[in-house]
Amino acid sequence: MAPHSIGRRAFTIGAAAASGLALTRPAWAKGSVTSAIYPGSWDEAYRGIVAPALKRAHDIDLEMQPLFAVDQIAKAKAARGAPTFDVFVLDPGPRVTGINDGLFETFDPTKLGNAGKLPAGLADDKGTTVAAQVVGIGYNPKKLPAPRAWTDLFKEPFVSRLGLTGFQTTFGTVSIIEIAKAFGGSETNVEPFFTEIKKVLPQIAGIGAPAGMPGLFQQGQFDVMYTNTQTVGTLRGRGVDIEFASPESGAIAFFTTMHLAKGAAEPANAYKYLDTVIGKDVQEALMKAPYFLVPVNRDVPLDPSLPMKSLDEMSKFVRHDWSKINPLRASWIERFNKEVAK
Amino acid sequence: MTPAAARAGCSGGTRLPLRPAEWQLVLPLALAFVAFFAGPLLILAVVSAFDNEQITTVGFAMWTKFLGDPFYWKVIGDTVKLGFLTVGATLLVGYPLALVYIASGPWMQRVLIFVVILPLLTSVVVRTFAWIVILGREGVINHVVLWLGFAPAPLRLLQTELGLVIALTQIEMPLMLLPLLSVLGRIDPNLRDASAALGASKWRTLFQVTLPLSLPGLIAGCILVFASSTTAFISQSIIGGNRLVYLPLLIWQQSLVVYNWPLASVAALTLLLSVSAGIVALTLFGRRGMRHLHV
Repeated sequence: MAPHSIGRRAFTIGAAAASGLALTRPAWAKGSVTSAIYPGSWDEAYRGIVAPALKRAHDIDLEMQPLFAVDQIAKAKAARGAPTFDVFVLDPGPRVTGINDGLFETFDPTKLGNAGKLPAGLADDKGTTVAAQVVGIGYNPKKLPAPRAWTDLFKEPFVSRLGLTGFQTTFGTVSIIEIAKAFGGSETNVEPFFTEIKKVLPQIAGIGAPAGMPGLFQQGQFDVMYTNTQTVGTLRGRGVDIEFASPESGAIAFFTTMHLAKGAAEPANAYKYLDTVIGKDVQEALMKAPYFLVPVNRDVPLDPSLPMKSLDEMSKFVRHDWSKINPLRASWIERFNKEVAK
Repeated sequence: MTPAAARAGCSGGTRLPLRPAEWQLVLPLALAFVAFFAGPLLILAVVSAFDNEQITTVGFAMWTKFLGDPFYWKVIGDTVKLGFLTVGATLLVGYPLALVYIASGPWMQRVLIFVVILPLLTSVVVRTFAWIVILGREGVINHVVLWLGFAPAPLRLLQTELGLVIALTQIEMPLMLLPLLSVLGRIDPNLRDASAALGASKWRTLFQVTLPLSLPGLIAGCILVFASSTTAFISQSIIGGNRLVYLPLLIWQQSLVVYNWPLASVAALTLLLSVSAGIVALTLFGRRGMRHLHV
């Protein structure tokens, strides 16, 4: 028998301690805050810009949990009042779900020194806006002319080079709503989209998973897709031929918001974190390559590549009411599966 | 070799009874299994027996909706079909490769085993995106096809079942080959020599000696590949796209986008049952083959 044996009791205690440590939430240190963050470019941007700025300004460590908006809601619902993070980062649809399900603490915008720099209404008792997203059409200018309207996507030369996604994401849902509206539908009636897509389904270049769309565009599988300015900026930064086009009916805008999780362990640090996020220097750095996040602080001079010269212009962009969309989304997803499945 | 000896060899030796002290060693794993697998599985079954998304009304409306809709039956059928197609393809490519491995010298065997386990050393996301580069409209295969003039326009390989099966065949290959190599390596070479000495051709030796004796590894490989390919969410969604709808995509949509956990639970249990049915079918097929061997 091997001489180096560990006593059973020591082993059990060690294993229990190790598993106990593993189950402890990461933000155990004083002077830290745990924030959910979108995986990918948001994660990189916050790690590169926000975390050092927060450490410098308030000596607070930023712990991040990379999770998509829908995953955060699912995780918070499953945790039932014991969230594993202090701050949510959400798109409008999941935001409405979070409000309805009572997942957020009441937010006090007066605790944010930079709240006055945001356009009116972007910080309220639910949370604060931290970035905007502008959605329109991304296309390859070397292979296609600039599309002018949503209806162009279902005509040649665009339709045979078109990549679509369904209703799983915010940008996919609002783009499909705009296509439906262009064909006579409305925010709550996407029937015209289904009628039209049936006619062109065999010609469409592909219907992809949202996460795979940038990669598929980069590989030339599609040459036109609906997308946001951030994806266009990121792909262009990697040498991909891509331009952003605003349809005649207007580009779509929606806001990304952050919220205090109900039962958050570090609410005071969370306010300092959110104030850092919406500060001028951080917002300006997040707007630049390679992150391309659309700022919400009025003091930030907007990058010329963005389809607006000031934040006030965004009020002319197309907006959507997610309290009307959310109840219909499940049936739209089911319908999309059935209509497009081979 | 007597049938009894062959049976003992195939089943991996005699089972020894566990002494109490050894039994206690299994306890942490057993507790973890109950806490993190059996428990959640029970919760899944309970959640599926609710009629609404708020999980407040008990009933079987979600089961009725799911099983009463021909679309979902098609999704179940497509998922199981994908598993069997991948098993078939990995078998067709993997078995000859395993025979080459057995016939090779030690140096070549080391190279082959490295090639075989290479896919396991890279992330599934990397492997999947590599297949986009290979199968894409402007990918490697289409470049070659157009250059050789085999087709006037790029072939559509991505977002097709064929493309997905090709990619899964490479991704799942180690799961087929590793058990197969282990069993083939344990077959006594004298049996093949005896077969040849008795006048059997190489093909006859392959089909009547090597193939039946390698059945345990073959079936283990088939089961692993089947279970893994039917549940390969990332590969299915990225390479298959959203026109190919499989059960993992439905589970993801219902649990994380729509928050209809009862319907997601129904889909998850259906996937579990479908995969189990496939595994049972493969096991029965294997047992039948083994019985034939020992008669």
